[in-house]
Amino acid sequence: MATHQPTTGQPIPHGAGGGHEHHADHRSIKHWWIRASWGIAIGVVFGLILPFFLRWVFGLDPLWNEQVYVTTTSIFSVIGFLIGIGCFDWWGRWMFGKHVDYEDHSFHGASSWRDYFRVNTDHKVIGVQYLVIVFSFMIISGLLAELVRTELAQPGSQITSGEGYNTLFSGHAALMIFLVIIPSFAGLANYILPIMIGAKDMAFPKLNALSVWMLPPAGLMILSGIILGGYSSGWTAYTPLATQAGTGTTLFEVGVQFAGASSIMTAVNFLVTIITMRAPGMTVWRMPLLVWANATTSALVVFGTPFIAGSQFMTLFDRVMGTHFFDWTAGGDVVSYQHIFWFYSHPAVYIMMLPGFGIISEVLATFSRKPIFGYRAVAFSTVAIAVLGFGVWAHHMFVSGMSPWLRIPMMVTTVIIAIPTGVKVFSWVATLWRGKLHLNTPMLWALGFLFTFVIGGLSGVFLGTLPADIFSSDTYYIVAHIHYVLFGGSVFTVFAGVYYWFPKMTGRMFNEKLGKWHFWLTFFGFNATFMPMHWLGLQGMPRRVSDYDPRFANLNLIISLASILMVAGTAVFFYNAITSWRSGPKAPWNPWRGRTLEWLVSSPPTIFNFDATPQVVGGPYQYGIAGARHAIVFAPEEVGGGELNETSHPTILVVAKDTITGKSLLDATRELGTHGHWRFTFVSPAESDAEKVALTRRHALATAVLGAADIPASGKIVTGELVQAIARAAQDEHAHEIMIATYPLGESQWLRQDLVDRVRKATGLPVSHVTVSHKEARATLDEPGLGHVMVVAQDAVGGETLLDEIRRRADRSPARFTLVLPAEVPSPAWGDDANVLRGNAVERVHHAVEELQRSGVAVQGEVVDGGIVAGTRETVGVYRPDEILVVASSSQDLTALRGLARGASVDQVVLDAGAAG
Amino acid sequence: MTTHAHDTKPVAAHGGSGVSRMNIGTLGMTIFIGSEIMLFASFFTAYFIARSNAVQWPPIFEGAETFEVPKLITGVNTAILVFSSFTVWWAEKRLSAGDRKGLIRGLIVTIMLGATFLIIQINEYAHLGFTPQDQMFGTAFYCLTGLHGAHVFVGLNALFYSLNRAKRGEFSHGNAGPLTAASIYWHFVDVVWVFLYVVVYLV
Repeated sequence: MATHQPTTGQPIPHGAGGGHEHHADHRSIKHWWIRASWGIAIGVVFGLILPFFLRWVFGLDPLWNEQVYVTTTSIFSVIGFLIGIGCFDWWGRWMFGKHVDYEDHSFHGASSWRDYFRVNTDHKVIGVQYLVIVFSFMIISGLLAELVRTELAQPGSQITSGEGYNTLFSGHAALMIFLVIIPSFAGLANYILPIMIGAKDMAFPKLNALSVWMLPPAGLMILSGIILGGYSSGWTAYTPLATQAGTGTTLFEVGVQFAGASSIMTAVNFLVTIITMRAPGMTVWRMPLLVWANATTSALVVFGTPFIAGSQFMTLFDRVMGTHFFDWTAGGDVVSYQHIFWFYSHPAVYIMMLPGFGIISEVLATFSRKPIFGYRAVAFSTVAIAVLGFGVWAHHMFVSGMSPWLRIPMMVTTVIIAIPTGVKVFSWVATLWRGKLHLNTPMLWALGFLFTFVIGGLSGVFLGTLPADIFSSDTYYIVAHIHYVLFGGSVFTVFAGVYYWFPKMTGRMFNEKLGKWHFWLTFFGFNATFMPMHWLGLQGMPRRVSDYDPRFANLNLIISLASILMVAGTAVFFYNAITSWRSGPKAPWNPWRGRTLEWLVSSPPTIFNFDATPQVVGGPYQYGIAGARHAIVFAPEEVGGGELNETSHPTILVVAKDTITGKSLLDATRELGTHGHWRFTFVSPAESDAEKVALTRRHALATAVLGAADIPASGKIVTGELVQAIARAAQDEHAHEIMIATYPLGESQWLRQDLVDRVRKATGLPVSHVTVSHKEARATLDEPGLGHVMVVAQDAVGGETLLDEIRRRADRSPARFTLVLPAEVPSPAWGDDANVLRGNAVERVHHAVEELQRSGVAVQGEVVDGGIVAGTRETVGVYRPDEILVVASSSQDLTALRGLARGASVDQVVLDAGAAG
Repeated sequence: MTTHAHDTKPVAAHGGSGVSRMNIGTLGMTIFIGSEIMLFASFFTAYFIARSNAVQWPPIFEGAETFEVPKLITGVNTAILVFSSFTVWWAEKRLSAGDRKGLIRGLIVTIMLGATFLIIQINEYAHLGFTPQDQMFGTAFYCLTGLHGAHVFVGLNALFYSLNRAKRGEFSHGNAGPLTAASIYWHFVDVVWVFLYVVVYLV
């Protein structure tokens, strides 16, 4: 989870390509959350005092009006929360003329999971925050759906009243639409889109953070609307029901305002990012289709969402202030609510679908290994859908009593939308045609989407036609249709996208088998749940009613049971996502062999995505075309600026001798290596053959430790004059940088010789210096990637034969050793004899450890009381070795040792006679 | 239209990279104004639907007084707001000429004109004979002018903060993103008012 490492404190100015100094803000998340709690508290108090004061001043009677106070407290508590959590800190300083740093990156990037729980301006962190919020609400909202199905499992009343049932389905829909589907695309695009266009972040990172932090309060408000009750008007919140219903509706209306504001800000952000921040060469006709889709969607959000804001403001005013927007008796118009609402909410259907189309285009092209068929047609059809989408709203209102003349035009425009949508579907099918299909999980979701979305699209054409719509209005046919397009459409694409980019976001691969289980469970569960609803609807079962005619009972029971399959599938998904994120296999840069820019950077990408601005050279989907490329990513200038990819890592030369296995050095190399850019060559000067052997062993250890972190490394022994030898090695290895590890100043021979400067002069390369203390150099290497061998010996300790045996074992595979001498001390254990014996044993172990370390073996030693069996039992518990080597002991002892080895393999070492010395 | 290595911040150009292209803050504000126009459009939609339904507009008021709006005073007020658009334009002009004093003066005058507009509007509210609860006419009148008033308030804030920054010596020619954004917003608020005045008060 620790993904985007801050670059401060690194020995090399890495990631400084754009001149970004990274100073992370060190205040703890506790600080921010305490502030946020205070913000909420102050907001609530202010929200109570303000209307009280105003009502008192203006002499309004009564002073207490629940709806007014609910409105103000909910609004001000959210504002208090946002100020408290720190969304406005920078702007606050700006507004009041304080000093601000325009290049402030202190809230950028995450080095631990904690950084995901505070305001963060890194688009990658924000993307993950979005998805976590989205999936949390998906669980809640899915459970609400299960409650709905429980109520509907049989005719009559099961678990709740009619009013309660209305609240359940209203909440389910509102949360799924405003808190799950719409922001899920914002989350995915937030992570991927800036990388896709070769940008380092979004255009407005602080606005981006504000957008994401508005979502949880918006969702909690809608949720509390369900819990408090009274939000029973459906997600459409039609007046006059919404004007008359209980307090929950007020909370819904305020919550939707925040969700909508969040959407609009994100949309503005996307548009500006796409317009101004594309990498050189990224012309509009080279943009991946996801970028096209998000640009179009953002335009829809910018121009559409204010209408739902307006409609909810007006309903809220009608409820709270007693205005008459939708009150027929006072000159208002109740149908005008529906016009205004659907003028947003029909385009909203495309807001929930177009980014999904973008995802599907990416996934289908990649897994078919073919260029997308008719790239420009797909791009244009996206725009066409968006434009036409504004002219069809009234098809939701055929039976509302609106002006009859609107019906035919709206029917015609609605059916016309099927044309650009058809262009897309045929393009996708043509992309699949004769492709080399790889049926990985993302591809399964994409194909599943094609299947279900076409069904949903066709029922949409039925519903767009006036006579069919009048017949099936407000029946389960509508419920079936909306779920085929929103679940079978949007949610399937979200899953396709989440699986597709999971390796990129988390740096881990998901479990393919579980992914497929998730898909098939959901796919069957989905169709078994919603397909029968078409029939129910056509037979006349009305929607939004908690009871139904007994003749619908069988199908409803089947539907309710089938819906459990989807719950099971989703549970598999969450299990898979969480376990893979924690401990899945490391993801390579480009697991799907994609062509777009996000696959040309490491998984997960570094803190500013690109160290140097990439260059786009071709279209994004040129699969199967020899020599075609989409873009080139460069290494930072300080390291040569050459092309960067997963296989050609620039080399860093690490010059070190005894310090090779020092923790500071290993940590420094590992830190750089996890950025995915580097390979390391350890260069050590040797003066004798013995030293050569010892250093080779140390190289093997360091290489194994780095290898465990997937960082390529190798070792090289050089001879002759040191500086010249290093310069030669740097040339041979095409090194970009040199890192020299020494003991601290005063103890280091190399520093005394001014090695660092001399190497810098001789090679002309950047040279950095890492200090390793004596203690570190000799400490045992408790690192992943190394086996741990415990050597148990008594008399043999001190003899050359045992040492040779250990060295042989060390050369077989990289390991660290613990040499244990279980001394058979005479009784009493505190006596002089015992002490002399122990002292002697310690002396011998010490000598052996020295000898081994000199020959490059990582070893520590210990003397314990109690003879072979008792002594080993004690030490095995402490050291937990993987392997135990025992020097010639009785078969009885050997059996005893095997019994207490705690899973370690136990081997016997037979030394030559007279070995003990 | 392509990115520069340093462009990760809206005001990254502040350091003076001298790249002559639309400031991203200005672009963002322009797009956001599209959103604002649609918000007003939603309220106007409700207004137009109700008005087209009505037999007579303004409708007959059963209360003590009639639905009468002060066309003349508001006309003067409209002139004040329109004039403030010119003063903010002049302030920006002064900045281009390198005259910081002129910029600050222009902004102060604009803010004072805007505040005058708001005060006159509030005074009008206090002396009108009807309330937002009095039929759709009252509702639409107060909500449209109130929504606009809220926008004037936000615009005044934006200008005030820009003034704060200008006093600190910030902004220069071609490098005044936030100021430009605030002034574009101010022009938008004025244009909406002219439309609103014509539709709600005059026609």
